[in-house]
Amino acid sequence: MTAPNDYRSHYTFAMDFGTSDFKFGPITCGENPRIVNNRGYFPDKNSVMYKAFESTADVIVGEDVPLYLQSTEDLSSRLVYPMRNGMIEKGDDTAWRVVSALTNFGLNAFIPKPNNGFNGYYIVASLSSVSPRYMYERLLELFEQNNVSGLIKAVTVIPQPFAVAIGHGVTTCVVIESGHGNSQVCPISKYPIRAAQVALNRGGGDANAITSEILKDTGYGDLANEEALVRKVKENIGLLPADLDTSINEAKKSPRRFRARYKVPGTRVEIDLEKDSWTRFLIGEYVFNPNHEIFKSYFGRGMPRPKDVKMGETTFSGMLDFGDAIVASVERCPVELQPMLYREVLLSGGNFSWTVPERLEDTAVDAPTKIKLLLRQKGIKNVSVKMTKSPQFSVWHGCIIYGFAVPENYEWDWQRLEGWMKFSG
Amino acid sequence: MGAQPAGRAEIPQNNLDFISGSEKTHVVILRNEDLLQRNKVIEAILSLTSLRNSSQLLYLAAPRLLGGSIDAAIFKPYGIGLLLFDERRIDEAVPSQPSERSEMNQQVPQSPDPSVVTELASLRSMYAEMERTIATLREDLKAFKQDSGTHMDPTEPSPPMHITRPEPMFANPNRSAGELPSFFANNPWLDVLSKRGRSGDELIAG
Repeated sequence: MTAPNDYRSHYTFAMDFGTSDFKFGPITCGENPRIVNNRGYFPDKNSVMYKAFESTADVIVGEDVPLYLQSTEDLSSRLVYPMRNGMIEKGDDTAWRVVSALTNFGLNAFIPKPNNGFNGYYIVASLSSVSPRYMYERLLELFEQNNVSGLIKAVTVIPQPFAVAIGHGVTTCVVIESGHGNSQVCPISKYPIRAAQVALNRGGGDANAITSEILKDTGYGDLANEEALVRKVKENIGLLPADLDTSINEAKKSPRRFRARYKVPGTRVEIDLEKDSWTRFLIGEYVFNPNHEIFKSYFGRGMPRPKDVKMGETTFSGMLDFGDAIVASVERCPVELQPMLYREVLLSGGNFSWTVPERLEDTAVDAPTKIKLLLRQKGIKNVSVKMTKSPQFSVWHGCIIYGFAVPENYEWDWQRLEGWMKFSG
Repeated sequence: MGAQPAGRAEIPQNNLDFISGSEKTHVVILRNEDLLQRNKVIEAILSLTSLRNSSQLLYLAAPRLLGGSIDAAIFKPYGIGLLLFDERRIDEAVPSQPSERSEMNQQVPQSPDPSVVTELASLRSMYAEMERTIATLREDLKAFKQDSGTHMDPTEPSPPMHITRPEPMFANPNRSAGELPSFFANNPWLDVLSKRGRSGDELIAG
């Protein structure tokens, strides 16, 4: 058992850089950290807000961002989500400025009073598992630069799936993390097995894309370009089919039972797919497996097919289904480890939040069931698939445990990308 | 037969005129792409109001999307009608109110309303007051920054530090001192991670 660690039971600090949210705070936050959007706004220096508070920083982060927002035309250029796709380009200084501002914001939100034995936080930051080495280098540099007031004693960076496994309390497993732009499959056996990672160029954004096409086809073309609305429609009418052909046939036979209707709250807008309600099954299927024949007609009409892309040293596969991705990842691990990995598959991220409405239990399934079915098709049966206990905060929980438990003398090593990097004596 | 379209030559593009007996109806059409440009929307509404003298019924025809983002009732007091359309149908969301030609033709320049003049003067005074307040706030903020900068000066020798058992200093509503969060309970990683760096604890692959 771990020896009691009084200092770190108060001064361990975690930062989870998610695609949409930045979750941060010390261990003393308890179960829930503080959350702000993982974004920064570069204000117009001629704006009233900027003039009123001329000492305002170049980039605004945190809860104050909405105070500075101006016209929608400005948003695309001034509002920056640095980790929308899980990765930042090496030369993207704008995105790195936002990350730097967020780390400062996070630290300054929890400044302990002086002369109380505090001599810096043990900080554990978490990045996407496909982050290339330069992202680790740049992030660690930022911490060093931002340590002018001595708030940091030591810092480390761990991959998000590893943190998920720690937060969930499973030491041997496969973690699938699915975000807005991409998904990652990462086996864990006390360490993240980096050489066996598989990355997919598909995520929640692709479910939005097919929802948009469905809206166009069903006469709601004027709504199809509103990203926030399309996302709401996806969340409210999208379904994940157990088997796509069977689900479509059933829905076509009983359109009333499967009717997809969504009224946008506070407006007169109502979307009703009527006889085309069977298309709601395409939304979930497309994320898990875009290879069905039916999707070809959408590609033929201009919807971009998910492509294989190379970012940094990682190739993100566009069309690999989730079942194949898990098998490919596990089969890169030692054979004797493989059965143990299949026995614990953990799903993490908002892209796995598929619900099964009442009376549709015969055709719609949740994400763990769908993964089990995909793996069964590949001949893998002894599988346990679970959602993480706390999907929103499991990464932050894992970072806190890591920061609390890893010995202080375990120093940062660039080969294994683990350990403490210390800035002051 | 109902209203007849007016001659094409006198109508700007995107506008429609209909004449029924002595009554003239004018429709300004906003298209989907126009909604992306604020100026187009403003231009369409301004052009409608400028036609008050020449048409009895005025309509703005806009994509249904606009109906979801504005309160259609705003058009009512001005007598402007609102038509919402999509690829399937056109609805009259707000009927247009016919304007009286005689009233329209008798409009003459009026002297400014004294109450408006008074209100304007009052607003000017409030604006001046607000500017003064912002200037004061700015000064206070500068003074505060200088003040806190003095305390944060790293070159200033700090008093000897008495190390005691640390206590959380910031607001901490979620956890009492010394108690670990519930996700620590029975977590096998605490044991695994505490052995990091010891011999025998090595990476499996990659």
